[in-house]
Amino acid sequence: MPFHIRDKTARMAAPDDKDLLDRPIFSFRLQIILGFFTFFILSVLITISAMITINKIEKRIATVQTWDRFLFNIEQARRWEKNFFLYGTNLKDALESTGAALEILNENINSLDSSDYSWQKEEIIRHLDRYHIELNRLSQLVESNRSQPAFQNEIEANLRQFGAQMVEEAAEMAAREYEMVSRWLHLLQKVPAYFLVFLFFLMIYMTRFLSIRFMKPLKYLVNQTRRIARGDLTPLRPVRKFRDEFTTVEVAINRMLKELENRQKSLIDSHKLRAVGILTAGVAHELNNPLNNIMLTAHTLMEEFTDIDDDEKLDMVKDIIGETDRSRSIVHNLLDFTRESKSVMEPLNLGRLAEETTKLAVNQAKVRGVPIHIQIERHLPDIIGDRHQLKQVFLNLVLNALDAVGSDGKIHVRVESRKPNLVIAQVEDNGSGIPADVLPHIFDPFFTTKPVGKGTGLGLSVSHGIIAKHGGRISVESAPGRTIFTVTLPYYPTARGNEEKPGSSEEPPH
Amino acid sequence: MKKPELLLIDDEPMVGQRLKGGLEKLGCAVEICEDPARALDLIRKKNFDIVITDVMMPEISGMQVLEAARTASTQTRVIIITGFATANLAREAMEKGAYDMIAKPFKPADLRKLVVKAAVEMGYSDIKEY
Ligand SMILES: Nc1ncnc2c1ncn2[C@@H]1O[C@H](COP(=O)(O)OP(=O)(O)OP(=O)(O)O)[C@@H](O)[C@H]1O
Ligand SMILES: [Mg+2]
Repeated sequence: MPFHIRDKTARMAAPDDKDLLDRPIFSFRLQIILGFFTFFILSVLITISAMITINKIEKRIATVQTWDRFLFNIEQARRWEKNFFLYGTNLKDALESTGAALEILNENINSLDSSDYSWQKEEIIRHLDRYHIELNRLSQLVESNRSQPAFQNEIEANLRQFGAQMVEEAAEMAAREYEMVSRWLHLLQKVPAYFLVFLFFLMIYMTRFLSIRFMKPLKYLVNQTRRIARGDLTPLRPVRKFRDEFTTVEVAINRMLKELENRQKSLIDSHKLRAVGILTAGVAHELNNPLNNIMLTAHTLMEEFTDIDDDEKLDMVKDIIGETDRSRSIVHNLLDFTRESKSVMEPLNLGRLAEETTKLAVNQAKVRGVPIHIQIERHLPDIIGDRHQLKQVFLNLVLNALDAVGSDGKIHVRVESRKPNLVIAQVEDNGSGIPADVLPHIFDPFFTTKPVGKGTGLGLSVSHGIIAKHGGRISVESAPGRTIFTVTLPYYPTARGNEEKPGSSEEPPH
Repeated sequence: MKKPELLLIDDEPMVGQRLKGGLEKLGCAVEICEDPARALDLIRKKNFDIVITDVMMPEISGMQVLEAARTASTQTRVIIITGFATANLAREAMEKGAYDMIAKPFKPADLRKLVVKAAVEMGYSDIKEY
């Protein structure tokens, strides 16, 4: 059975698809997912750092409170101390306050240590100790009821000194911590604003990036379809380093191109057979001439065999051989055109090709009594092309011209080179011309103004396809009494290498 | 005795070259012409009894020669040679008054028979196949 399930996958790996599919996948889905993932990760990072900052601020606030409480107790103690000196109140409250202050310090020593600022721990504790000690000494002095003004004055001075230092230090610490808190808060305020700005740019970038990533292959495809519409059926080549959703489209287009090419080829072939059919009358006539010459010469030789000398006999035999050769080349010329052949791109002299082709039709023209003038520039540069297909183009043009002209018809075939790198071939006739309302349709497949059985309307469509495939153009200029079809083909200086495909030169670079 | 005047026109030089001897042996005065334009001139200048012409020639076709010969003299017998005999061509030739038609490739003897027949009809009694 010729039916295989695996057929599909086998076709997937057809040589043309292979280049397209032999790339790593980087689909748009993946790209979008990656984009959003990056975005998500960034958001998570921002959120986490905000949480950490808030936590830090919380701790700082606790520290500030600790210092405040400490300061409060110290100030309380200083107040009791002052009252003692002014009004002789007791010192017990002052001692309690310093004790409380010490306790606060001890309780929070860890959190204070974790502060970003190094604080003069020893200094403050020492001052607090000294203050406490002096207070104790003062209260003992008061309890002993002995009046020792000098000693008391010394204690009072110490108390003032250490108390003031402690207050100063604690206040400084509190202020510092507070400043810290406000700095963090400030930062925290700014972060969302920064984040928004960042987000804005990120989104712009992502939009741009994605749209460029989308637009570029889209544009490429659009350009390619334009090229294809012009008739260049070369398959798409991979232009990006990776595969994505567009690759599916490209593979599909290439498959379509293959189908188109096959169809075009069968159109070309069927039209060729028709042309051969048309040529047969002319070829038969042309072939009958040398055959007749052979017949006449052979009969003459036979009839006059005894009357003529050897030289004359030899001449006649030579004539027979010459005419046989002529017949052979006529048949060969037709067969060469008819032959099923692979499409080979080779360097060709368009002038010689046009001449050979015109020869094929020249008898057809003789049958109608239409002279064909051939005018070919000497030393034409070679073009790269498929000889059989180009012959078919010329034949179509000449046959069309023959159909168009009347009894006093004339056909001119011209081939010449044009600057910068073109070879142009023209087929001109003095026939009916193409009416303006017909002109836009003549290259359409199956468009014909000829009666059924006489024209299929494929000639110009097929010719257009062939010329487009060669990277050239075919155009027409028509007025009653003068119609010129012009085929323009580019040639490439041999230095640039002949393998280069003419059709691909107009692709936009990527 | 007057010889029948014969003009043979074919753009293939070998045709005249090979046929001339045989036709002369029949007893004709044979003129050979490869250029139909010159042939038209000859026809206008002189009345030929028999004109043998190829149909497909460059510039001027055998049909024009036929017309010219028949205009010059309705007595002229015109034999048409053709490389590709179609019914259309045959009809056209007969309408225009051709005497007969012979398709390429032909044997010299066949043409000679036609010529003899035409000459005899025209009253040249001493013309015959050797
Ligand atoms: N030299 C010309 N002068 C006038 N009209 C022309 C000429 N060449 C082409 N055309 C017009 O263009 C039409 C399409 O030509 P095309 O060669 O595609 O098909 P066709 O000749 O009609 O059929 P086919 O080529 O299959 O025998 C013709 O029918 C005719 O009307
Ligand atoms: Mg055509």
